[in-house]
Amino acid sequence: MGKRVFVTGAGIISALGTGNDATLKALLEGKSGIGKITCIDTEHTEFPVGEVAMSNSEMSRILNVNYPVNGLRTVLLGIFAAREALVSASLSPELLRSAAFISGTTVGGMDKTERHFKTVFDTNVETEDSLEMKFNDCGYSTELIADSLGKFRMVTTSSTACSSAANAIILGANLIKAGIVDIAVVGGAEALTKFHLNGFNTLMILDKEQCRPFDKNRSGINLGEGAAYLVLESEKSAKSREVGIMAELSGYANTCDAFHQTATSENGEGAYKAMLKAMEMARLTPADIDYINAHGTGTPNNDETELAAMERIWTDKLPLFSSTKSLTGHTTSASGSIESVICLLALQNGFVPGNSGWRTPIKENANPVVENTPLPEIRNIINNSFGFGGNDSSIIFSKYIP
Amino acid sequence: MKTLAHVRITPTDTSVNGATVSSASLAGLYREFAGDYPKFFKMDSLCKLGFMAAELCLKNLSADEKENTAVILFNRNGSLVTDRNYQKTIESDNYFPSPALFVYTLANIVTGEIAIRHKIYGETSFYVLDSRDETLMDEIVSDTLLTSSPRYILTGFVEYENEQNYIADIKLVTK
Amino acid sequence: MDNLILQLKNQIIEVLNLEDMTADDIATDAPLFGEGLGLDSIDALELIVLLEREYGIKLSNPAEGKQIFSSVASIADFVSKNRKK
Repeated sequence: MGKRVFVTGAGIISALGTGNDATLKALLEGKSGIGKITCIDTEHTEFPVGEVAMSNSEMSRILNVNYPVNGLRTVLLGIFAAREALVSASLSPELLRSAAFISGTTVGGMDKTERHFKTVFDTNVETEDSLEMKFNDCGYSTELIADSLGKFRMVTTSSTACSSAANAIILGANLIKAGIVDIAVVGGAEALTKFHLNGFNTLMILDKEQCRPFDKNRSGINLGEGAAYLVLESEKSAKSREVGIMAELSGYANTCDAFHQTATSENGEGAYKAMLKAMEMARLTPADIDYINAHGTGTPNNDETELAAMERIWTDKLPLFSSTKSLTGHTTSASGSIESVICLLALQNGFVPGNSGWRTPIKENANPVVENTPLPEIRNIINNSFGFGGNDSSIIFSKYIP
Repeated sequence: MKTLAHVRITPTDTSVNGATVSSASLAGLYREFAGDYPKFFKMDSLCKLGFMAAELCLKNLSADEKENTAVILFNRNGSLVTDRNYQKTIESDNYFPSPALFVYTLANIVTGEIAIRHKIYGETSFYVLDSRDETLMDEIVSDTLLTSSPRYILTGFVEYENEQNYIADIKLVTK
Repeated sequence: MDNLILQLKNQIIEVLNLEDMTADDIATDAPLFGEGLGLDSIDALELIVLLEREYGIKLSNPAEGKQIFSSVASIADFVSKNRKK
């Protein structure tokens, strides 16, 4: 099925820590990053979240960045993860000139906008803040991240809710397969904001305890924040640069559930089609899948229908599966890439990360992996990312075989 | 890449394949060309705009052909108008955030609304661009036609600012 | 009670953007979800906001809404027993 696409670099920042090494360590220890909210000014402290344990000023100091980047949390998180990805893939500024940068976000600069919104719109006076807000859309945050890295051939923002980063990865892979670029830096960044914390609260799908995906008594999401980027590369380019190959991006698909703006269809039609089409592209059968990193948000609706979709494909026995959102929180638009990096770490280090907090089965034979479990023979992983709008993506990472 | 249909909607003019078909507002267009989908009135303006453009653009596709269609839309300001309206509902003086508004603070819901209406199960994407960059848009669309399975793509630029300023410039394309 | 029912119908039409509908079009005992008006889960959440804003009633669990929102009659009954304003 056309050209092969490899992963040659990865970077990550989340509630689990900064960078691949810290993330791996936290995963192996089974340590959850969920805790009390501190970074945004909200009355809703009853909802635990997966925060990155650094203030904007700390991040700005470490990254050595100034205005306007120092005030934009999504951008700061994005730069952390993207820089690590470029370093791990040994990408020089010259190589970026012919590469694509595609980032998923929905929040973008909203963290800054919401701090100034009231003053600016109440007074209707043009100030430095109001002028800045005009440009503070989610595309702008991507441009700022890209600018901090170098000059790219193309830059764009994918905004498809919680599957945004997964779709950024898909677009990057398509661009490589179509021969438009040889290298694509792809992923997503999302900061916690009052804006979406309140929004998810109005939907009544936030859990006041640590979330419990696939638990019978689950009662919703813990929001999280972070960023992660992958460097995708064509076979020709990876080989000529003699760069280490972390994994093959062997299959992927985006489908639409076409059912409701936010709810998923009862039998998980979109999720079912996404996993099937991704396996078809990877030329894998259901039996080849060793682990599924589920979307598993912890809402009653998502987990039930995602499980239904999995059971339609694996009719005898489900593969090992877990949702790592109980560790990172639901990092919304960044979750597709954050969980992709977690999958890459699992694939390279031969283990399955656990679904922390899980206690009670929904039914027989549908239990996730609860604790981090060694699996040296792990070869193929499906990573699911579903977004409002019925936007369902499945991505398959496979162990690199020359 | 071949264009099968082209719809352009602005506040004063709606055209199909270059010929003006109406000068009505979005609600007027709905009454003229749809009329059987009361959920239309629950949508935000960006969705109403995308929905009507899709209504006119997909008129001649069969259900089977729609199954084989992807939706890839672009704009510059995301869902900014609804973001503002929702932000007003979470400001503390009158704290009653609206769930229905929050749902539409996602720009890609417009692709979902179109998919729900036309039973499109294929790819749906939404990209926010720095400017209306036709070359980049074409590249993303032709790339999807080349590398993914859909036979048809409903694609274009859809942006809503206010009642006097909005545009949907949508095409149905095939290989 | 009749006044409350009429008021509720008008409020429902307004918050749920039921264009082209009048209070007369909503039968007091008819189901609001599924068949009937065809409302969905987001509409239910919007009705929860309506109860809080207009009548000072706070529902913390969306599942509670199922019974209450089965018809305008059942909403009116619940509101008259629990309203704080």
